[in-house]
Amino acid sequence: MTRRAAIMLVALALFALLAPWLAPYQAGEAFSGFLHAPPMRPHLDGLSPVVHPLVLADRLEQRFEIDSSRTVKLPWIERDAAAPVFLLGADDFGRDVLSRLLYGARTSIGLALVATLGAVLIGALAGAWAGYRGGWIDEAIMRVADFVLVLPVIYVVLVLRAVLPLVLPPSTVFLLVSWIFVLVGWPFVAKGVRAIVAVERNREYVQAAQSLGAGPLRILAVHLIPACGGHLLVQATLLLPAFILAEATLSFIGLGFPDPIASWGTMLAGAGNYNAVARFPWTLAPAVAIFAIVLSTNLLTSQPSPRNR
Amino acid sequence: MGRYLLRRLGFGLLLVFVVSSAALLLTRLAPGDIAAPQCLELSAEKCAELRASLGLNRPFLPQYLSWLGGVIRFDFGRSLLYSRPVGSLLGERALNTAVLAIFALLAATLIGIPLGIYTGTRAGIMRSIVRAISLIGISVPPLIGSLALVFLAARTGWLPVGGMTSSGGLELTWAAWFADLARHVPLPALALAIPMAATLERLQSEAIASASHEPFVAASRARGVDRSRSILHHAWPVSLRPVLGLYGVMIGSLFSGSFVVEVVTSWPGLGRLMFDALKARDLFLVAGCAATGAFFLAAGTLLSDLLLAYTDPRVTTGESR
Amino acid sequence: MNRQPRALLSVLLIGVIALMGWLWWRSAQSDQDDATQIVVNEVSTRGGTLVSSLRSEPRTFNRIVLPSVPTDLYSILTSSKLVRVNRATQEVEPALAESWTISPDNKTYTLKLRDGVTWSDGVPFTSADVVFSFQAIYDARTESALNEVLRIGGKPFVLTAPDARTVVINLPGTSGAGIGILDNVTVAAKHKHEAALKAGKFKGELAVDTPPADLLSIGPFKLTSYSPGQRLVFDRNPRYWKKDAAGTPLPYLDQVILEIVPDQNAELVRLQSGQLDTLQQQIRPEDIATLRPLEQQGKLRVIELGVAADADAFFFNLRSPYWAKDPRRDWIMRKEFRQAISHAIDREAFANTVFLGAGVPIWGPVTPGNKQWFNPNVPRRGYSLDRAKEILAGLGLTNRDADEWLEDARGTEAHFSLLAYRGNSSLERGAAILRDELKKIGIKVDVVLLEQGALLDRLFSSNFDSIMFVFNATNLDPAMNPDFWLSSGAAHAWNRLQKIPATDWEKEIDDLMGTVMTNVDPAERKRAFDQVQMIFAEHLPMLYFVAPRLYMGVNARVGGLSASILRPQLLWNVDQMTVKGSR
Repeated sequence: MTRRAAIMLVALALFALLAPWLAPYQAGEAFSGFLHAPPMRPHLDGLSPVVHPLVLADRLEQRFEIDSSRTVKLPWIERDAAAPVFLLGADDFGRDVLSRLLYGARTSIGLALVATLGAVLIGALAGAWAGYRGGWIDEAIMRVADFVLVLPVIYVVLVLRAVLPLVLPPSTVFLLVSWIFVLVGWPFVAKGVRAIVAVERNREYVQAAQSLGAGPLRILAVHLIPACGGHLLVQATLLLPAFILAEATLSFIGLGFPDPIASWGTMLAGAGNYNAVARFPWTLAPAVAIFAIVLSTNLLTSQPSPRNR
Repeated sequence: MGRYLLRRLGFGLLLVFVVSSAALLLTRLAPGDIAAPQCLELSAEKCAELRASLGLNRPFLPQYLSWLGGVIRFDFGRSLLYSRPVGSLLGERALNTAVLAIFALLAATLIGIPLGIYTGTRAGIMRSIVRAISLIGISVPPLIGSLALVFLAARTGWLPVGGMTSSGGLELTWAAWFADLARHVPLPALALAIPMAATLERLQSEAIASASHEPFVAASRARGVDRSRSILHHAWPVSLRPVLGLYGVMIGSLFSGSFVVEVVTSWPGLGRLMFDALKARDLFLVAGCAATGAFFLAAGTLLSDLLLAYTDPRVTTGESR
Repeated sequence: MNRQPRALLSVLLIGVIALMGWLWWRSAQSDQDDATQIVVNEVSTRGGTLVSSLRSEPRTFNRIVLPSVPTDLYSILTSSKLVRVNRATQEVEPALAESWTISPDNKTYTLKLRDGVTWSDGVPFTSADVVFSFQAIYDARTESALNEVLRIGGKPFVLTAPDARTVVINLPGTSGAGIGILDNVTVAAKHKHEAALKAGKFKGELAVDTPPADLLSIGPFKLTSYSPGQRLVFDRNPRYWKKDAAGTPLPYLDQVILEIVPDQNAELVRLQSGQLDTLQQQIRPEDIATLRPLEQQGKLRVIELGVAADADAFFFNLRSPYWAKDPRRDWIMRKEFRQAISHAIDREAFANTVFLGAGVPIWGPVTPGNKQWFNPNVPRRGYSLDRAKEILAGLGLTNRDADEWLEDARGTEAHFSLLAYRGNSSLERGAAILRDELKKIGIKVDVVLLEQGALLDRLFSSNFDSIMFVFNATNLDPAMNPDFWLSSGAAHAWNRLQKIPATDWEKEIDDLMGTVMTNVDPAERKRAFDQVQMIFAEHLPMLYFVAPRLYMGVNARVGGLSASILRPQLLWNVDQMTVKGSR
């Protein structure tokens, strides 16, 4: 199970990374005649996969019909500008959902990764220093961490984001939001690291290093923090889906990335229209993707249950 | 017990104070203010007059102190966005969020705990199925859950999509109002409850499985007590300790989750109110929302801690007996 | 726990669940239609409650101070005008003034007020109230938005009241709009507000927290309750003066409820479920298909209101000082640049993408929806990328290097920013289309989405390259929009508040608008305004692409409808609307 989950996660990460090469269309490429086009099912014509193209039946109702008389090759093989292939359907601007899903993965997972790295780094440093030093530094850092932990995450993120200018360019959004996530995420890491370091610092190898004249920084960097390696990895796997969700929520309410940047949250923002979601369910594809990621991370970190008689 | 309560009360008050002050300060620092949209249509002098009349130009400290003074008297100031006292606005919306939270907790408990007891004490195919469903449930955070449920409701029409009441609800009798609520609550409450129920199930399952192996349970069986009684009467109360501890932690995520659910399903609660207040830079409303939220948070965690202390005699409150 | 209490608990639990289930089932049942009453003809149905949506809270109930959408709606429900311009036919109808005479020099209107009209508190309505209303409007301390509109050449009207039923209005000059200009005036009760006006506090009168008992009505309804954030409830005003053709007192409805629903999606859901009978204003094109199944079931009607009178406009900043130091000034302010852009936009594709085909291409600010004033001879620049490139080349803009963008002789790239505001999907999409279409001829456009407040700030301080915006039309007669047409106007968005006209053609438009605003001969006015539209099309201070067709969703139980393209599209005629069946 765990192995399968790890494979699924790595695969998703790879898809995200290779988006510019895997995605059949650009994130912002819009086909004005194909708004809300449904997913097109590929089938085999001899040995090559083909798709029946769609023809507009009613523009106002955004209804399409399958033209069974013609076939179009998949966009990786051959592109036809007049007959785009939407394997996962198109959104309300006529943009390919599959391509936006892949590019969106890049944005959302990218942001979450950056934030996770930041939170892990700062959390590890803060926790290790607290655990190593003890005393009032330990008290102070842990009090702050406790305080942040008590607060509901989304509210803190919301307030911090909302007091900044409401409409910002995408690169600024990326930076600011990742910093907000780091601010909210470091206590999770810090508490665990502090606990481990507080125990480890009394071990012989640390005392040996100290007697050899190693400074605190060296001891932290070379011995203590690596001792937390397992814990850090677990925390990172827990933080990642949380940050993906937080970005999705922010973009959903309009405080995240602006259109036309593809991120899973901005793609879901159109789902505020209940009727559109009911008629065009493929626009909920990012929700499934997020579910897949959360599921994989849960599988990865779940303990096998104790068997009973 | 008394000292413990006092300490927790103090912590709660501190939390409310710090959170609301921070919210007030941050909103004050934020670019733009509530008069901005109106100021665009006014000349510079009129705009300055408007800002002065709304008290937007007061230096922070006097404004903060007078707000504090008001709060002690339960006067949270006036919302400029809604042209009403903040207190009345908060009361309504906080109540709505509380209703949602309570229903969600109830649902999560009623689903999660019994299922957890089942999977923790039995073997077989049903157990594996329930565990698999539980794993899926944990992986459906409120955002995804609410979107999926809204889709289901919009497609099937079984439940009303969004909102808390049907409008035109002026002269409804209590029964009719309750029935109306009963139709609108399930969707958002379920969206919140699913991951919580799954977490509860897993924790309860683990806890009761290990409690069942305790010697005193075996002893009770040896005395002739039948299996289900021994589990429910002896193993279960002990297993409740970690489970009840989880309730305290869940309060925070309940809040976070309720914000998302309120936005997706248009539930008129505290989260949505705070969001609108933040966007409009309505100072006192933001601070009021933050204070209310912190209050419920502190109260919720205190309640669950008390519950924990009450049910498990092994837990002490730091006092010697 | 013993067995007994546990069994009791389970029974109790099952009982609670069963009760909730039964209550839910019952409430689901009650949504079904009542037996429809048999009606002889639609118009004679009397009684019932109509529920409409309102998207934003009113900031005041005083329309003289602020004629915003919610306040205007309040005014339609609780007030009457001296004369009313029928929003469907554009004819002037008598209202509180039952007849009028116009002097031969067209500068004096003598109105005869209806007899026996009283305010809702029983006090008679007289000419003194009319004089008082104008006083309130012209008082500087009121800061009335109507103050500028009710002037000619900057001078106010002079009113006298020879007797209780006669009002004489002396205009400082002739008015092109004629007696219809009085459609803008809201009457205020002298006996209620005189003290406040004298004290200079009229602006604060009719505030939203005024107890409903203190709010007087002279219209079909009066406000019974206002729950902020939720709804406004209006009940029939038994003292309403108007009667229908058969002599039955209006309004037909007993009650009107305005539900405050800020979210358009929630609005639509409530319309579908029958909680709302109609909406504040038109539905979005994508909602039409959503409502079709209900239409087929006979529960709703989707009415086509007509082509909108206002459309999204794209314009550059034509204020010279802004471009003084900018290397692009040689070509970006030239009319040929704008003409080229007009050629480069495929208006049909625009209509298809932004409005799902429910739109008509337009080439000027006056749309075919404004039947009286639309000039069909305005030149139409057809969709031609080649022609666009040709014109741009004539300005010196050609592709001089390896990238896809055009440059001028100095090497400055053809590149500008376009501001639009977030939250309006048709504007956002229009801006995106503009960006994509102009890319094809080598012009780079940066679309910057701002909040409405920030955008208006930039607009009013003339700090922008270009903007995409929609100016909502409140009146179809151009004489009522001098702000937009005159170079000195505050809404002359591309170059506001000019002290003297910056260009010859703006001066020409100023002169022609003078005719439109003061000449009483309709043919002369039309001729002048046709010429204005031609000049506009030549110089293109604003570019227009598509005017949407407007549709409104309304519950099948609502009758007595008279649709207009101006807001409020159905409720402007609320006193003659009817409903079948009870709520």
